[in-house]
Amino acid sequence: MKTRAVFCATISAAALLSSLFSAQKVSLDPNTIGKAPVTSWPTFNGDYSGERYSTLTQISPDNLNRLALQWVYRITGVGAQRGAPVPIIKCTPLQVDGVLYITIPDHLWALDAGTGKELWHYDWVDHGGHLIGQRGVGIWNSTVFFLTPDNWLISLDANTGKENWRKNYADARKQYFSTSAPLIVKNHVIVGVGGDAMDMPGFLDSFDPATGDLQWTWWSTPRKGDPALETWPNEAASDHGGGMTWMPGTYDPVLNLLYWPTGNTNPVFAGQGRPGANLWTESIVALDVDTGKLKWYFQVSPHDTHDFDNTTAPILFDHPANGKPERLLVQAARNGFLVTLDRATGKYLVVKPYVPLDYSSGLSAEGEPIPIPDKDPSVGGSINIVNASNWPAPAYSPKTGLVYVNSVEGKAIYYLTDDSRNPSGYGGTVVGIGRAVRVLQAIDPLTGNTAWRHAYPNLNNAPTTVGPSLLTTASNLLISGDDQKNLIIFSADRGEILWHHELNANESGGIVTYLLDGKQYIVFGAGDSLYAWSLRQ
Amino acid sequence: MRRHFVTGLRANRINGLRYCAPLLWAALLAGVVGGLEVGGRTQQRQAGGEERAEQDYQNMTSGERAASTRAFLGLGAIPDKAAALRGATHFAQNCGACHGKDARGAMGPSLVTSDLVLTDEHGQQLSAFLKKGRPEKGMPAFATLSHQQMIDITEFLHLQVENVANRGSYKMLNILVGNALNGKAYVEARCMTCHTAETFAHIASKFRSPEQLQRNWIWPARYGTLTAKVKTPEGTFSGWLKQISDFRITLVDRSGKTHTIDRGPGVDVQMSDRLAGHQEIIMTLSNDDMHDVTSYLETLK
Repeated sequence: MKTRAVFCATISAAALLSSLFSAQKVSLDPNTIGKAPVTSWPTFNGDYSGERYSTLTQISPDNLNRLALQWVYRITGVGAQRGAPVPIIKCTPLQVDGVLYITIPDHLWALDAGTGKELWHYDWVDHGGHLIGQRGVGIWNSTVFFLTPDNWLISLDANTGKENWRKNYADARKQYFSTSAPLIVKNHVIVGVGGDAMDMPGFLDSFDPATGDLQWTWWSTPRKGDPALETWPNEAASDHGGGMTWMPGTYDPVLNLLYWPTGNTNPVFAGQGRPGANLWTESIVALDVDTGKLKWYFQVSPHDTHDFDNTTAPILFDHPANGKPERLLVQAARNGFLVTLDRATGKYLVVKPYVPLDYSSGLSAEGEPIPIPDKDPSVGGSINIVNASNWPAPAYSPKTGLVYVNSVEGKAIYYLTDDSRNPSGYGGTVVGIGRAVRVLQAIDPLTGNTAWRHAYPNLNNAPTTVGPSLLTTASNLLISGDDQKNLIIFSADRGEILWHHELNANESGGIVTYLLDGKQYIVFGAGDSLYAWSLRQ
Repeated sequence: MRRHFVTGLRANRINGLRYCAPLLWAALLAGVVGGLEVGGRTQQRQAGGEERAEQDYQNMTSGERAASTRAFLGLGAIPDKAAALRGATHFAQNCGACHGKDARGAMGPSLVTSDLVLTDEHGQQLSAFLKKGRPEKGMPAFATLSHQQMIDITEFLHLQVENVANRGSYKMLNILVGNALNGKAYVEARCMTCHTAETFAHIASKFRSPEQLQRNWIWPARYGTLTAKVKTPEGTFSGWLKQISDFRITLVDRSGKTHTIDRGPGVDVQMSDRLAGHQEIIMTLSNDDMHDVTSYLETLK
């Protein structure tokens, strides 16, 4: 573990100097966030919808042979972090006014988007927390918000990297840790939290972006007096029931609703101490963004015992039906079901497996998959699917009407290691078995049917979490990568490989695109490096 | 041999690899034992919302596993086990009646997930608390305990936390829960089309634990490899597969020579999987059958 004497953030003098000479002036009007990104990529998903769709067409199937690397920014001087031998960029870069913001745990860099040159670097000294990943920042006017492994919300000047203020919102000693990117909506900084080692309840906080004052908290499990407590054996089980909010959600400005995916139930694999559905873990919840009040929920994995951790992005899309557009939401859930809901009401349209699975006996009246108890982890072992998707975000193209997801088809044996009446923590373990294949799928969210699929050939089993958050564009591009360092561009409508390039590492974060000085860039992290591509003149 | 891939063309994409029945090259396979195991080691497993660092649980000692998970999770100070052992006695005498012998809760709440315990540092906060108790909630003061006894109790509690939080320290229970007779019947009915009794002779003695046995009879990765036949305009190449992607295939032929072939127009790849039958078992095996067979094979020492 690294040790440092001083508990403070530092900015190198050189970085400060360079920022003084920089002509950049970053300022993002919060009212413009959520519009289709063209010259910027201002939020984790580009806009509020989670579609990760760009209207840009400069880079198209016809000119991919002119796609060329413009610059590479490599992280140096960080070295091994505890549990992470080398830096891996798992963030989605944000780009505003010509400045790119990228992160790894404890570190934030501002780069000149035209050259990849470093403008400033913010270095946090953590006191605990889990350094597994960092998904990126949020931007509001000229302020950048950054979350640390030990659960500090840091407000920084977007132009200099100077700290404005910091606020701690969870205790790392309770095994809470943070990896998320804050979501900025109007005058709210929405912050989620992770950590499932010690049976803590998940929550979502909203802070004032100017002052850091807490505006509201929504708990992932019900508190005293809430009827949803009926889905727990008692209040103590609910108070220790998990449901972390560790991936950014989406937002519908018309309905004024946040859509947040909630993580796995605790104890994780040992469910015998918590009979019931265990709301609102493993759910998609719709919350009023101004009050944090729950409008509706849809529980994707009632009484989960497989760490199905429902954190894949809920994508918002509109379907023109009978002259009146339907406002829908689709999620390629980690439990292997594709879920399409009416996002005003939470009523389901489609709930259908997108990987081979046999752990569910059918759907409830509300459309929620009913688990088969024999498939629960057991002392002798129980075979079930591995997570079918994970945190890397899927994409949706309004042009094709298809949702794209890098899925994993594979199985594991789930063992119970704690068969007591009152288990705690994980209470079990998982051992992968057989082949696990990564399959890129294009699925029609209105039917749940697969339009096309591409199994990436690989002798090695698919890692469950590596891989980029996808990007699709109006020029029929779908940009992904395999687990063998190849950046691959598919045609979005048919899944044909149009172009590829071998990198030095697997793509490991979100792929973004924007116009800068009239030139369309494609930017993403792979391992310790950030790559920027555009067309050769 | 090496052919250059032509950008933009992909005439020979394999749509969802088709694994066919095992063909030949048994002798060749014997030379590549472990090929898939190496690949398996790089697999990342699920870990409660976050990806777990690459770990080879199969090859780590239990101590290494616990230490690695402890570092990965950023857990706090390592509990003093000697103090915890002393503390166990004091805890049983003074606290166990209300909080359960393992502190997971009984009449009183679980202390393992208690904020006070989790935020305590080396007994400082907890010993102060124990001196006063929480009389309004029925928790008496334990002022008669010596300071050392209190510290020992808190170390016991920290060890219980460690046992929960550090999932690298988890121990398997006895997984032999099946019916060996039923397992024998399954093996005789289902396995003998490909295997002989020799496969199973003393099989249990080859593994250090029943869970290793269970994993390996279902998926004997050390024997598994894919073989491929690649037709190119320059000729046909056969051998065991070292790696394949959408763009390239690497195989080792019978003479031990490695061929890397770029996949483009006119290149046709056919693959076969020696473990196709086992993959099919994985997709359909019931838990009862799995338990029964493992319990049977465990008798074949």
